[in-house]
Order: sequence, then C-alpha cells, then structure tokens
Amino acid sequence: MGVMISVQRIIIGYVISLLLGIPLGLLISRFKILDETVASLIAGLQVLPSICWLPLAILWFGLNEKAIQFVVVMGAFFSIVIATDGGIRNIPPIYVRAAKTMGVRGFELYRRVILPAALPSIITGMKLGWSFAWRSLMAGELLFVSVGLGQLLQTGRELHDIAQVVAVMIMIAIIGLIFDRLIFTELRKRVQLKWGINSN
Amino acid sequence: MENHKSEIRVSIENVTKQFQTAHGSVLAIDEISLQIKPGEFICFVGPSGCGKTTLLNMIAGLEQPTKGQIKQDDQLITGPGSSRVVIFQEAALFPWLNVIQNVEFGLVGRMDAKKRKEIAKTLLHLVHLGKFEKAYPHQLSGGMKSRVAIARALALNPSILLMDEPFAALDAQTRDLLHEEIQEIWSTTKQTIIFVTHNVREAVRLADRVLVFTSRPGKIKREIRIDQARPRDLVDPAWPAPYIQIIQSELREEIEKVLKEEVDNEWTLKKADLLRPAGLDLGSGI
Repeated sequence: MGVMISVQRIIIGYVISLLLGIPLGLLISRFKILDETVASLIAGLQVLPSICWLPLAILWFGLNEKAIQFVVVMGAFFSIVIATDGGIRNIPPIYVRAAKTMGVRGFELYRRVILPAALPSIITGMKLGWSFAWRSLMAGELLFVSVGLGQLLQTGRELHDIAQVVAVMIMIAIIGLIFDRLIFTELRKRVQLKWGINSN
Repeated sequence: MENHKSEIRVSIENVTKQFQTAHGSVLAIDEISLQIKPGEFICFVGPSGCGKTTLLNMIAGLEQPTKGQIKQDDQLITGPGSSRVVIFQEAALFPWLNVIQNVEFGLVGRMDAKKRKEIAKTLLHLVHLGKFEKAYPHQLSGGMKSRVAIARALALNPSILLMDEPFAALDAQTRDLLHEEIQEIWSTTKQTIIFVTHNVREAVRLADRVLVFTSRPGKIKREIRIDQARPRDLVDPAWPAPYIQIIQSELREEIEKVLKEEVDNEWTLKKADLLRPAGLDLGSGI
C-alpha cells in the first residue's frame, strides 16, 4: 500500500517534469534570449539537492501532497531541461538541412527531425532525472510524515524494528531498479539498436 | 503559378555572396551569372574554397545571395523546397529511421501510406537495394548509404536535383558503379542535375557542361561542353581524356593560387626545390 502511494507520486511528478521540461529545453535551444537568461539559472539550480525545496514547498503548498509533488518535479525537471537543450544543440546541422530541402519545416521539422535526433540525449537526461526524483521523493517522505515508503521507513525506526527498516530499504532499491531496468535501459537499448551506437 | 514550359530551368543572375566572419568579410562568390536548361546535367568543378558548394546552397535556397538573384522557372528562390532537393556528401540519412522510412520521408503527409510504400519500394529497386528495406543506416556501407540518399531525393520527384560531392567519401570502384547508375536513372527521370565535385574525371563522365570555378572569390573561369553522345560508354577511358586534360590545366592554375595563399608564395606545382641530390652543401660554410 505504501509502495503504491510512493510509486504513484513519483510517476505523477515525473510526468509533470517531462511535460514542462522537454518543451522548455526546446525553447531554450531555439531562442537565444532564453538561453542567455534561463539556461544559466537552470544550470545553477540543478546543483541544489532537490530535497532543499521541501521547506519552500511546505510554505507554499502547506503540509500536503502538493508539497511532495513539487519536490519530485524539482528533482527531475532540471536534468530533463538541460538534456533536451543539449541534445538539440548537438544535432548535426546536416539533418535539419536535408529535411528542409525535402520541404519539411516549422513544427513538423521539430516533431519529425529535431526531437527524434535529440532523443538519445533526452533519454539520458530522463534517466538521470528519474533517479534524482526517486531520491528526493524518499527524502521527502522521510521528513514529511505521510503514507508511503518513506513513512514505513520512519515508523520502522521509531518502533526499533530493524527488520522493517531493512525490508523497506530493499523495497525502495528494488523499485528503483525495476524502473531503471524495465523502462530506461530498454528505451536506451532500442534507440541504440536503431542508431548503431555501441555496436560491438 | 505559371505552368508554361520555360526554356530556362535555373537562372543565376549576377550573384555575389559575402560572408561575415570573425576576421572580417569574405567574398565567396563574385558576380556569377548562369542559365541552366531543363534536363541538363551540369557539373561545378573547382579548387577547395572556390564557392561551388556555396552556389549550390544558394540554388537550393539554403542560403541567400548578398547581391543578385536566383530563379527557378522564373520564380525567385527564397528558401529550400522539395522541387530542388539536395543530396549531401555525408548522405545524411536519418539514423532513427530504417531504409524504407528514410526513402519515403519526403512523402509523408502528401499521400497515403500504401502509395508511399510503393514508390519507396520501386526506388529502392532502382538503386539495387530492394532487399535492404528494413535495415538501419548504420548497417549500410558508404555506397549503400549514397544510394539510399539518391532514392530518398528521387522520391520527391524534384525538378532540380542538387548533388554536393555525393561520392567523395567513397572508394573509386563504388564511385564508378554509381556513375553508371546515375546515368541510367537520369536517362529515365531526365531531371535537371547540378553536381558539385572536385574530381575532374567524374565531371567529364557525367556532365553536359562542366563549369570550372576560379579560386576564391569564385567566378566561372571557363565553361566546357562535353559533346559525347549518350548513353555514354563509361568503361572506355579514351573519350574523356582530352576533356580531362583541358579542365585539369585550367584547374591547376587555380589550385596553385589557393596553395600560394595557404602555404607560401614560392609554392609551385613543379618539382620541389629541396629534393636536390644528396651531399649538396646546404650552407654549412656560414
């Protein structure tokens, strides 16, 4: 039950970071003015451990779900923005030129050429963002007592129940591993297979 | 849009191109004028940096002239478009798509999937890659990638095909094979082709007209008409020889100029002075 709550939180928060982060990364790569202002801010904020957002979140949203969600989003958001922006910048310009001479431009250019070309980079950022989000979620749940794995960890401690503490730790690690293996490594492998990167 | 058959497919009128770089402005192309008829195969030949690729990019619409204008069928060219497709040296196949998806790339959104696939398959067979539909670009050799790039461009049935040293990265045998294939394809599609190369033999084999560029700033130094009847025997080395000789001597002058600029003023294409017989006194008696 605690597991489901934690997993649900991270999925919601993570999806929000994707929906906000990828477009922002795209805009930064496209508009110089955003690059000069927002990008450095983001690079700076990324270094801040996302759990540090918790006090601010609690002040803004109160002691509830939204505060924890905020922390999760902050965990993943910056890595995703940076990876998207970097991925787009590193696309060989010839792909875009080739597409343009075939009559593709505007939004279609982004959808069919630029995003797919940046995808390997974006996936790396997504993976990183995920692990940051998971960590900050656990930290948040530990500090801010509410149902979830973090709380189970905390109650284990309070009850001096080492077995529970260790069991929950293993659970947290396993869930992290499952998502990592099942989703991200799979995604990465499929992309690499197509692109021929890492072909030994 | 006007639909009469123009006598002139591409009209390049007093085109000049200047680039702004960190070191000031560079004149890449200096007042070039040229007219290309429909169905002509034109080759641009010249030393590195002479502007032939820049001119190609301007015809494609990827860059704009600083002065002058370029027209396709009497319409000013203001941007890239599918009626003037470019095939680049690096093939530029999209690595996230397989071969047949690459070939039909330009057709997506213009027709339904079934028709697209048909056209793509036909073209792949034309370039002898029918069995490689599902392969991904990284699995292909250089020659195969070039063929897919050609098929991809042809899918759009452009009225002008622009090729920027498309075979430069390939080995000589593959290149010669592709010359035969291009000639075959072109005899049926009869597009206007503008082909940039610095391989003189390639230019002579393929072109109706070869335009020799000067070194930077690029102008057209000389136009040589290749009068060999088609279909040309590309195995025979005899007929290209006199053409190759003329063009190479024109080029030699230009290449020397480039090297003098890049290396030093005493450089010539004659035997280097330092290769004197051994044992010569090189100034030990100072």
